[in-house]
Amino acid sequence: MSAARYLRKLVLGETWSLPAGLALALVATALAERLVGPQGWWPAGGGFVLLALVLVALTASLAGALKRC
Amino acid sequence: MAFTLTLVGAALAVGLELLEALAIVLAVGLTRRFRDAVLGAAAAALVLTLLALALGPLLIARVPLEPLRLVIGVGLLLFGLEWLRKGVLRLAGRRSPSSSFREFVDEREALEELPAPAPGTADWAARAIAFKGVLLEGIEVILIVTVLAARPGGLAPAMIGSALALLAVLAVGYRLRAPLQRIPETHLKYVVGIVLSAFGVFFAAEGLGASWPFDDLALAYIALIVLAVSQAQVAVLTRGERRQAKAVP
Repeated sequence: MSAARYLRKLVLGETWSLPAGLALALVATALAERLVGPQGWWPAGGGFVLLALVLVALTASLAGALKRC
Repeated sequence: MAFTLTLVGAALAVGLELLEALAIVLAVGLTRRFRDAVLGAAAAALVLTLLALALGPLLIARVPLEPLRLVIGVGLLLFGLEWLRKGVLRLAGRRSPSSSFREFVDEREALEELPAPAPGTADWAARAIAFKGVLLEGIEVILIVTVLAARPGGLAPAMIGSALALLAVLAVGYRLRAPLQRIPETHLKYVVGIVLSAFGVFFAAEGLGASWPFDDLALAYIALIVLAVSQAQVAVLTRGERRQAKAVP
């Protein structure tokens, strides 16, 4: 395995869908934080938004296997 | 809570990665010569030590606390979610179980095809294989331990967990092959995935301005939520696998 391929696999894993889903989850969470602002419900509820989006990203990365069910 | 979870997470992640490195070093040592296998592994350990010494202070001293939390969180999520995804697929029977013993057998078979070195000369092929195996597994160890240790109060449990894992792996190495077959690697890697993902969500959310109810105790309920969701995924995948098996005449 070439060094570049190994590094890509080390950081991004075996599938592009998981890091891409994680990136989308983080961007969506950061946008939500900007929209709500630090005074609203964000400090207490923002973590759960990220948790939900991360779990959606995990489920999406399993979509191929789930489709075959 | 954070201390215990960091210790357990570091110990399991380091232990499992070192087991895979041990499988390669053992295969090289038993097929070729132990002296060359140990020399290759020691050279890789030296490179990894230099990497850890460079990476740790760079991350902790140069990055301000708030962005550091986000960096740590994203790093842990990248590793944790990948381990978790593979864990779900393995537990559902959609992927072959993780096995350092199988890696050991495969490596031995590959090494037996290489020509033996002349007596009294250095076995560079064996040294290179041991070096590469330890280096590649070790880089993941360094990255995981660095991000776990970089959070406030994380250094001590990450170091203690890593040291315990190192001792455990050396003990396994001393007893050689039999224990390698008995370790439930698939389940342990799944647990590491849950722990790293819980830490990742915790820190990434704090880096994005959120704070968790009940502070560090949040790590426990995040881990439980991740466990529940991933178990549901395992259940759905397993049901699908059984349905497919029944459909095949």
